[in-house]
Amino acid sequence: MYQYSEQDHQLLLERVSQFRGQVARRLKGELSEEEFKHQRLRNGLYLQLHAYMLRVAIPYGLLSSEQMRTLAHIARKYDKGYGHFSTRQNIQYNWPKLEDVPDILDDLAKVEMHAIQTSGNCIRNTTSDPLAGVARDEIEDPRPYCELIRQWSTFHPEFNFLPRKFKIAVSGATQDRAAVAVHDIGLRLVKSKTSDEIGFEVYVGGGLGRTPMLGKVIRAFLPKQDMLTYLEAILRVYNMLGRRDNIYKARIKILVHETGEEKFRELVEAEWEKIKAGGLYLKEEDFNWVKGFFNDPEYDILPDQDADFENLMLSNADFARWVDKNIELHKQSGYRIVYLSLKTAHQPPGDVTADQMDAIADLADKYSLGHIRTTHRQNLVLSDVQLKDLPVLWEELKALDLATPNYNHVTDIISCPGLDYCALATARSIPISQAITARFDDYDFINDLGDVSINISGCINACGHHHVANIGILGVNKKGTEVYQLTLGGSAREDAAIGKIIGPAFEADEIVDAVSKVLSVYLENREDPEETFLTAYRRLGPALFKERLYG
Amino acid sequence: MALQVYTASLLKEGLVAYLALDNGRPSWTTDIHQATVSNDDALETLKSAAEQSEQDNIVVAPYAIDVFQTENGIVATTKREQIRAAGPTIALPQGNIRESREAA
Repeated sequence: MYQYSEQDHQLLLERVSQFRGQVARRLKGELSEEEFKHQRLRNGLYLQLHAYMLRVAIPYGLLSSEQMRTLAHIARKYDKGYGHFSTRQNIQYNWPKLEDVPDILDDLAKVEMHAIQTSGNCIRNTTSDPLAGVARDEIEDPRPYCELIRQWSTFHPEFNFLPRKFKIAVSGATQDRAAVAVHDIGLRLVKSKTSDEIGFEVYVGGGLGRTPMLGKVIRAFLPKQDMLTYLEAILRVYNMLGRRDNIYKARIKILVHETGEEKFRELVEAEWEKIKAGGLYLKEEDFNWVKGFFNDPEYDILPDQDADFENLMLSNADFARWVDKNIELHKQSGYRIVYLSLKTAHQPPGDVTADQMDAIADLADKYSLGHIRTTHRQNLVLSDVQLKDLPVLWEELKALDLATPNYNHVTDIISCPGLDYCALATARSIPISQAITARFDDYDFINDLGDVSINISGCINACGHHHVANIGILGVNKKGTEVYQLTLGGSAREDAAIGKIIGPAFEADEIVDAVSKVLSVYLENREDPEETFLTAYRRLGPALFKERLYG
Repeated sequence: MALQVYTASLLKEGLVAYLALDNGRPSWTTDIHQATVSNDDALETLKSAAEQSEQDNIVVAPYAIDVFQTENGIVATTKREQIRAAGPTIALPQGNIRESREAA
């Protein structure tokens, strides 16, 4: 992974020192809340429903074991012993005290971490494929490009006060595990149709929130050398023309929509013409330098089978279930990718205790070359585990309650913190996710349902990505009561789609039954067990589901 | 006539707090049951005390909320304020994991 230079370290230390001064002045009353708010939001610090909330950046979801131990230390020393992994691959702490935040940032800086670009109207932390560099379907590793974007965007003076926040995702595989279509800019590494050259398919204007939209392809093939100049051109157009008079219309998706795709493309191309040969044009030496941080580790040469592993698969059904659900093939023979499920019946989706974090760091050192990845579905990944180590790793993960065999299945629920934590939320989402998990927490049923996603948001801002779930749940406040709208047919993958509201909302004690009915309609009407929920829904349309739900 | 209390976030800790007046002297408590309840007529006194506390950098963004007086004390009328007063409605992870580990 990327190693900080002397300048990177210096930049971070100066930033912490600056924020320490700002906090001291706020506490002494020399800065008003209005003045201070803009400073704290530049450093990932929100004031939420119960307390301050600090969001720490995990650039493109990549963590070292040492960094994970620091996250555990922070949870233990400054918070209530846990953290929450978010849908943008970051981690949030729910209970820090203002006066402790500079010390937290100091501790983070020691391991090359920070809370920059996790809030405010700037270019946010770039997200990516959690299987980058190890996936079998990868065209090219997206991480070097993410790092180039990180370096270009951090403290970019021109884009420090955008009309609104700005999110970029990069994927390098044929399967989309980074939800690129619902980002302000989505970059997908693709092969040219006319040569062997690899470049970017550029999506602009995707997003969720109150006006969900899929990104439009404004360039089908962008040479890699032009990545930063083209991003700069898009950002310039947005910075000049994006609306600042209405927060609900300030995202680039509205600008693209109102300008029109064709006109927007022309504006970007015109701006790009002016700067494409400038200093941001990427040369071979730039790629070579950054790719040096993401070289493959020295993998052992191993057969892609192991007798002990196979025996346990045959003799232990629980192990076989875990392997079936939470393990992916690795590009390297004899290695596997392991999903650590943060979706259990015992704690909120994405939450991890300090003890778990320390244990995960130890497991990463022991079995996975010392690295951990975070996913936008709020799980963790050990990316380089030898096949022969899977049985012992499984035992250790089970003891930590991190081995629920449910990846991409019905209880692998994305949930925002909702009204239990969030000042913007209008309804609770965690209790709904727990009620659904409790109802469907049966392996045979989960297995039979197959690949299906349920995402829950506690307000229209859609941090729980409900629009792009196969089954989306949106909590709203209706005359003082929390009610839940159901949307069906969404997808965050390469076949991205925005789900449609199926009908009137359900009360909290009705929503689990409603989900159950939706699943029943699918099970009764699928062509065969291979037909997924989404495929069946697309074939069947909403009528059958509507009839079962509302009569 | 609606009963109200004043609430805000404590500047240092960020925690939810409620205004209590003791012989006109303001203090902030994290326990809603200790808050001073006012009807519309007397709300102005609470309001100016809350605003003074904000100027004194004790609290952030004070505002009045509607409450009921019940046998068990003061209860906010909205779900949002009930959750602010009592904390998350779910068990926090630390306790859960400890319990599940102890059970195991």
